[in-house]
Amino acid sequence: MSKYELPKKFDYKNVSLLKQFITETGKIIPARVTGVSASNQRKLTRYIKIARFLALIPYTDMHK
Amino acid sequence: MKKYEAVIILNPNLSSKVDSFIKDFEKLLKVNTFNIKKMEDIGRRQLSYSINNHNKGHYLIFNIEGTAENLIDIENKIKYDESIIRHLFISVNEHDGEDSQLLVDSRNKKSESEDEESNVKNETKEKPADNDENNNEEEIVSEEESIEDVSSDSIEEDSKDE
Repeated sequence: MSKYELPKKFDYKNVSLLKQFITETGKIIPARVTGVSASNQRKLTRYIKIARFLALIPYTDMHK
Repeated sequence: MKKYEAVIILNPNLSSKVDSFIKDFEKLLKVNTFNIKKMEDIGRRQLSYSINNHNKGHYLIFNIEGTAENLIDIENKIKYDESIIRHLFISVNEHDGEDSQLLVDSRNKKSESEDEESNVKNETKEKPADNDENNNEEEIVSEEESIEDVSSDSIEEDSKDE
């Protein structure tokens, strides 16, 4: 079902992977849209939030 | 003993003093009975948003092993270090021995920029037949990049189709 095959192991450092699961405005895309499994969606959410804190991906497109 | 990953973003203006900072930080870790399994120097990287008016940061990643009590001491000392603009300690189940994706990406970027320079030189020197091959490769690369860029859009479009 998932169009994007998630690797078995990934973390907050796979920036290009995480960027596929946020919108242009920086929001996390819901699993019902992407078809990611529930456990993978929990991981994605956790890692996206870590990557945001480390300024690897933006919180929003409103950053100056 | 718990396993941790430490990510430290240094002030980009102090990039030249990174080596001395790494030595100091490793000393601090050893004093607090931490083992350093691996150290990755990612280098300067564009920040997604400005932190303390810095637009770039020098990323360091440490794979370390130690006790939670000592980690608090280390964090208290790091807090007031002005050369660090952001830090994060994450506990992990396992350290994977491979290079992190960040390090791989930064290496690829470096080699890409070098390739572009060499390509420009080659195109002026090499025969037209070789040039065609080079152009094809470049086109493929650019297509892949565009797919990645649009991917977030395409996901949304899929949902509408459903």
